[in-house]
Amino acid sequence: QPSFVVDEVSSIIKEAIESAMGGNAYQHSKVNQWTTSVVEQTLSQLTKLGKPFKYIVTCVIMQKNGAGLHTASSCFWDNSSDGACTVRWENKTMYCIVSAFGLAI
Amino acid sequence: MEEENLNDSTEAELALRANRAKIRYVNTYRLESRKKFRDCLVRDKAQAILMNKLQQAKYDGISSPSLCASVSEEILKAVKELDFDRYKYVVSVLIVEKAGQAMNVASRWVWDAQRDSWVSAKFESETFIALALIMACYYD
Repeated sequence: QPSFVVDEVSSIIKEAIESAMGGNAYQHSKVNQWTTSVVEQTLSQLTKLGKPFKYIVTCVIMQKNGAGLHTASSCFWDNSSDGACTVRWENKTMYCIVSAFGLAI
Repeated sequence: MEEENLNDSTEAELALRANRAKIRYVNTYRLESRKKFRDCLVRDKAQAILMNKLQQAKYDGISSPSLCASVSEEILKAVKELDFDRYKYVVSVLIVEKAGQAMNVASRWVWDAQRDSWVSAKFESETFIALALIMACYYD
């Protein structure tokens, strides 16, 4: 009975964020590219784990402007096999929140 | 004393194993869901819930987190009430204050394209924008 390992997934996400946006400042023209690459890299690494899971990855990038952002998620699944992992990352000019959900097949 | 302890530990182990033993189901030979996920129904429901709960609300650093969580739970409850057969749901709600900043939301998934789907609903007011994402995955 495979289960979702939160630590493994969170380190995969952190790696993907660092490699896509590491030392960059917020640039409107590049955001699309960044979100796409973070999400795609995370997904490809997750599928490489080879576990029988369906994955959903959501990435939110927001410019730092003093505005507030809240996310909430509720899920209806099997607690013993499914799980979620959220990683918050920021630098001087932007916030990035990535959530990964894994549902066992 | 030691014998007693040993007996207790083996009993505990047996109980644990029994709990973890996989429940076996009889084959139903059904590969599809009986009541399939209908996007339009869910989108309307989600939009209605967002309108009801957020029309009066103003963005507030203190009350918004709990508002966000309660909206997401209500949407989950409503989708469960629609009673689609054999689905697992993930509902994600974002509330962002409007302050002239730019924001980008991207989502990708690895799933069964024929049986799983997603729905999104948006609500905008003067002070904030709310976005709800509902994903339904087939599970048998």
